[in-house]
Amino acid sequence: MFGELLAPQYLTWLLDGFLLTLVLSALACLFSTALGFPLCLARLSPRRLWSWPARAYLMVFRTTPLLIQLFFWYFGVTSLLPEDLVAWLNMPHEVALGPAHLEWPSFEFIAGLWGLTLYTSAFIAEEFRAGVASVRDEQRAAGLALGLKPAQVWRYVILPQALRTALPPLLGQYMNALKNSSLAMAIGLAELSYASRQVETETFKTFQAFGIATLLYIATIAVIEVIGQMLQQRKRFRRGVI
Amino acid sequence: MNRTDGASFMNWKTMKKLTALTALALAVVSGLAHADRLEDIKKAGVLRVAAFDSNPPFGFVDPQSKQIEGLDVDYAKALADKLGVKLQLQPTNPANRVPLLVANKVDLVLANFTITPERAEQVNFSIPYFASGQQFIVKKGTLKSQEDLNGWRVGVDKGTVNEGVLRKKFPGAKVVAYDDTPFAFTALRNGNVQAITQDGPKLIGLLANVPDRDKYEVPPFTISNDLIGVGIPKGETALTEFVDKTLLELEANGQAQKIYDSWFGPQTKTPLERLYKIGDKS
Repeated sequence: MFGELLAPQYLTWLLDGFLLTLVLSALACLFSTALGFPLCLARLSPRRLWSWPARAYLMVFRTTPLLIQLFFWYFGVTSLLPEDLVAWLNMPHEVALGPAHLEWPSFEFIAGLWGLTLYTSAFIAEEFRAGVASVRDEQRAAGLALGLKPAQVWRYVILPQALRTALPPLLGQYMNALKNSSLAMAIGLAELSYASRQVETETFKTFQAFGIATLLYIATIAVIEVIGQMLQQRKRFRRGVI
Repeated sequence: MNRTDGASFMNWKTMKKLTALTALALAVVSGLAHADRLEDIKKAGVLRVAAFDSNPPFGFVDPQSKQIEGLDVDYAKALADKLGVKLQLQPTNPANRVPLLVANKVDLVLANFTITPERAEQVNFSIPYFASGQQFIVKKGTLKSQEDLNGWRVGVDKGTVNEGVLRKKFPGAKVVAYDDTPFAFTALRNGNVQAITQDGPKLIGLLANVPDRDKYEVPPFTISNDLIGVGIPKGETALTEFVDKTLLELEANGQAQKIYDSWFGPQTKTPLERLYKIGDKS
């Protein structure tokens, strides 16, 4: 009914692409969480010196399409850089990590990771902020009244509750990051969507090529979903995340 | 009333014959309705053609008229005129050409569509109306010999034959695939890739509109020769015959040469000698 299966060679292409998708989105999630949290703190800061740049960042990155941002970093910015630097960025390099040799990622990967991270961090910062906003002001006041220092109020009163509220939408943002990574194929990054399109071009087995890619995306999202469910059912989580 | 009343009007044998006849008639009628796209086009009064909208001079949006123009479009117009129907153009990219035909979204594809045995399993092709070879654009003076390409980063269009040919001829090249040729060219300009590859006429057409075209060159060698045909839905014999016949007529009455000259003639920005004529043995 669905025609023949794909030859092993094409499955290898798809798996290579899948691996790249996983690495790209995992790194993007990691970096954008690390960036999103301080961004949220800056946005909440009563000092304008902190909050205004954060507002500007959030506005720019949340109001423009990711595809345009990727084009901007890959095509736009490189056209401004000096030629020698671009040539160096595009050259293969090797990074020696003790006995292991790591191959320097392609420039497409760097640009894709950079663009995806900056974009996702803006959304993650807002999810954190929504979590913090869910803790009523009275709790902060009560904490201070009990003699806690402001930093202690953050650590023991606000953050545990804020993170608990923010976790489900945060996981939603991770899922978005995984799906958004497919846009990196527009800048020539050979991730899963790119690979499925390439397999389709070579084999004309449209259903199989896109079907397998779809299943791989669904499976990965399902794993994130299961992790989220497991976390939320833990007793410790229900009392507060940290 | 008795349930067998109706059946008692005729005997069993006549019934059987009638059923067979009806089935046959149905098969013929539905066969006609499904298999003959040519009739459908004439009835609808519209010929739906997929063409490129950013690949000068084959199909591109003309800045003055804001319409899709080009060599492919001129042939599409000639086919629609011959049929006496309206032409409706649908912009496409290289990777969507086969799916558009398979999904019946268009009647014909005239989008620099290279004839290959793999594609011919999915769609019908007319006789070739154009031939072109795959060439490269590089920054002037950078490519010393063809072999250099084996270590280079080379940009191609996603979903094209060019990608496969490049991988086969230069297995050492690092292939980076972009959505279309303008993107690939931007990447070359920025230094993300050192060469881009496409059919020669398309590269010349692209360079013609580049302000700093003196910095680039198309080295004088081809790595393949492609025959370009009209893509037609699989099994549409009447439509295929019509397209073939019309193309030969266009060559015979000089209109094909006229179309060619208006895009690649000596007066144009992209002069290229016409080596292939419709009806030539490939």
